[in-house]
Amino acid sequence: MNEALSQSIPSRQIHKQIKLDNRLFIIPAVIWVLAFSIFPLLYALYTSLFSFRFGRINEFVGLYNFVRLFNDANLHSGLRITLVFVIVSVSVQMVLGFGLALLLNRDILGRSLLRTIMILPLFATPVAIGYLSITIFYEQNGPVNTIIRSLGGSGIPWLSNPFWALVTVILVDIWQWTPFVFLVSLAALQALPDDLYEAAKVDGASGWSMFRYITLPLMTPILTLILLLRLVESFKVFDIPTSLTLGGPGRATEVYSLFTYRTAMRFFDHGYAAAQGFLLLIIVSFIIVTLYRRIITNYETE
Amino acid sequence: MRQNKLSSINILNTIFTAFALLIAVAWVILPFYWALLNSIKKPADTFSNTFIPFIQFQPTLEHWLAELSIPEIRQALLNSAVISTGAATIAVLLGTPAAYALARFKFIRPRNSSLTTWFLSQRILPPVLFVIPFFLIMRELRLLDSVLALVLLNATFTLPFPIIILSQIIRELPRELEEAAFVDGASLWQALVLIVLPLVIPSLVASWIICMAFAWNEFLFALSLTTKSAIPMPVIIAGAEHTRGVQFWFVGVRTILTLLVPTLFALLAQRYIIRGLTLGAVKG
Repeated sequence: MNEALSQSIPSRQIHKQIKLDNRLFIIPAVIWVLAFSIFPLLYALYTSLFSFRFGRINEFVGLYNFVRLFNDANLHSGLRITLVFVIVSVSVQMVLGFGLALLLNRDILGRSLLRTIMILPLFATPVAIGYLSITIFYEQNGPVNTIIRSLGGSGIPWLSNPFWALVTVILVDIWQWTPFVFLVSLAALQALPDDLYEAAKVDGASGWSMFRYITLPLMTPILTLILLLRLVESFKVFDIPTSLTLGGPGRATEVYSLFTYRTAMRFFDHGYAAAQGFLLLIIVSFIIVTLYRRIITNYETE
Repeated sequence: MRQNKLSSINILNTIFTAFALLIAVAWVILPFYWALLNSIKKPADTFSNTFIPFIQFQPTLEHWLAELSIPEIRQALLNSAVISTGAATIAVLLGTPAAYALARFKFIRPRNSSLTTWFLSQRILPPVLFVIPFFLIMRELRLLDSVLALVLLNATFTLPFPIIILSQIIRELPRELEEAAFVDGASLWQALVLIVLPLVIPSLVASWIICMAFAWNEFLFALSLTTKSAIPMPVIIAGAEHTRGVQFWFVGVRTILTLLVPTLFALLAQRYIIRGLTLGAVKG
């Protein structure tokens, strides 16, 4: 339309005016992001170069806050816990979600109702789910332990034992995000071309070989995309461990973001917390750079 | 003979699928039901294994009434409502013209695709990196413990949703209508408001809802920037059990009070949720 207009009115001045008009549509959003995202980002970088005292800038320390990242055992423990969380949680979500999508990728009664139900966990406030899970995994009379006991087992110390507390956090996260993998995989499966499968059937291909040589290769970009989104989101996990276990018992579920939050808001070590934030940004960017090339075709919109 | 074998496999397959379906639905629904169940049980009934109201136990609304009469809870509900609707409205107001521009104009420096990626990257940045600068900036601006601060921040981080959803939807519209309007002398803004907007109202509302739900659920910034008067629901429930002990009935009421709004609204935006959550990569 832009080109059409400039062709019909070839004056240079009007052309310039159109260019400016075009930019006016996008400039407010750009300024907003510059003010509330890019500026704070730069401010965080500036902050990371200082030590703080009583919540105020104390002195310039150069890269000292970044050096501390390498020697902080508590930070490393937070990173390790987050890694375990991310790897276990995301793998289970991918397998369960994609598996269920494969199973239900056919005309069955109530599929659209199922899709509706699956949306509920995605938008349920994570803090509320963590809070509710305290009662679900309550050790004396909570429903999970009651069921385990009625089946003849002994109650599991879901929240008081360091190992089981991390398991609980992971279970709750799996509950919340498996539907995401399911819904996206199902949408992608339904968009696959039918004629490939019909041709394969005519050639006498088995169900397994159709999955192996048609479904899987066609789904790989989408699955990579889902994996990327889940990995990035999971590394930022904060809400569920904070509301469910407060990082405890001890530091057993003190994930990276929770540790950084405490550095910032409990110990007021603002410069160091900013440095920690940048390390997390580097980790997340690394994942994106590694996986993004494989999925870039999905984003080519023009 | 062969036919028999096939159909018995089919039946087994159907049973297995139905079983998986049942497990999946129960897995999703049970926690919500558990919250609802506890919220209407008398404290004495909480630890009895009863699951059907009216038949197994006499339900009560006393906890709902008690919770809703607490001034802090009312204030938190109001704060959550203001923060989420305010942020969503700003995000959609800023995002719609930007989406129109990305869909219809060709930018050279920077190119459209770079601009889109730049906007989307807002959803990739770790929020915890922003806790420090936002805290220090809002302290300077004297906006700590204010609803306004949370409106501004949530608008920023939900802005990618309207931009990606609407730019894709507008790109799918035929250009002929707008071109006809230009021939009649309409300006670009008139074309957007009079021609395009009426056609994309469902996606506009859906984007607003997705932004609203994300802003409602946001926790980290709310926790670090509020202390008393601006506290929204997620902050009020986090850590509540550590001060008053685990009372299942209050946990039930507060859980539902917190998650009811985003989940119910999300159901209205169903068709756009996959597109939104995958940042436009899967249409759904």
